[in-house]
Amino acid sequence: MAEHLLDQVRDLFEGQIDFEGQKLVELLVNAALTLVGAIAFFIGYFLQDIKLAVYIGLIGTAAVFVLVVPPWPFYNRHPVKWLPVGGVTPPANLVINDEVLK
Amino acid sequence: MYSSVVRLQNAFSFFTTVAFVVAALIASTDLLAPRTPGVGVLKTTNVQVVRGRPHYYSSKKEEYAIIKFSLDADLSSLFNWNTKQLFVYVTAEWPSAGGSSGSGQNASNQAVIWDSIITSPSADHLANLGPVAMKKLKRSAQGKSIDPSRGRLSIKNQRPKYQITHPSGKVAEQDDVVLRLHYNVQPWVGFLTWNQDADVWRWKTLRNNLSKKFTLPSIKKKDETKKAAK
Repeated sequence: MAEHLLDQVRDLFEGQIDFEGQKLVELLVNAALTLVGAIAFFIGYFLQDIKLAVYIGLIGTAAVFVLVVPPWPFYNRHPVKWLPVGGVTPPANLVINDEVLK
Repeated sequence: MYSSVVRLQNAFSFFTTVAFVVAALIASTDLLAPRTPGVGVLKTTNVQVVRGRPHYYSSKKEEYAIIKFSLDADLSSLFNWNTKQLFVYVTAEWPSAGGSSGSGQNASNQAVIWDSIITSPSADHLANLGPVAMKKLKRSAQGKSIDPSRGRLSIKNQRPKYQITHPSGKVAEQDDVVLRLHYNVQPWVGFLTWNQDADVWRWKTLRNNLSKKFTLPSIKKKDETKKAAK
């Protein structure tokens, strides 16, 4: 029982997501942080207020972290199709041709 | 990006890169903002030379010059969104008398007599003030991010912060002494910059920052009648 609970906790902290989700995260991190940086700079420059630029940058970054770090469900929409446990026994008349493999 | 920790690390790493690039952009906007500082008046009001010691227990006695001055300058164009503080200082300079062994023909003696830190409203919380003065300073900015009026200096008969001397210990009756105003712009991000000798694109040199030449007087003699009265 305790092991099952520990497994759940471990899964939560590991936060595994499928490969399509990882691709999406990579794209989001780069695009969103660049956007946050650009917005912070231009707003700060046109209002001539550096404190505002820093606040926008930090809050925007925190928002990106919240979007990207936890394993949200939409990162798990293309789960990997694993083979069944135990595998498939090969047919009895299977011949492995070395020349084809080379 | 297979685990939360890895995503956190990668996101933070890119964040530091973005922060660095944005800081570099902010520093480069300094070059776009024009600087036109100018001095209206810089003159001495009272000059004295007295004898004194470097500190209480030293046996050496030296001559110190106390130079009071008036200053009227407009340094407001030096403040932009990236300015944290403006460090302003006044130096007294005089040529050296042509030293021994061929050195010193071009040398000049320079000593700071007064300086001041002028914070931009974004850096007011860092000023070296007590609670009452701090509140007053913050309120004077009226919520604006840049306050040009802080750059307009108008001080009359200012007592110097520092009494100056020469390594030889003698400054009395020194000719050709001038006062010069300097500034140092300390930004939030970017390089430190001082007043420059030549115009650089939009940054103009500090105009009119030398006072007239004056001579340091001889040592002030104690008043004989005052002594007799005691």
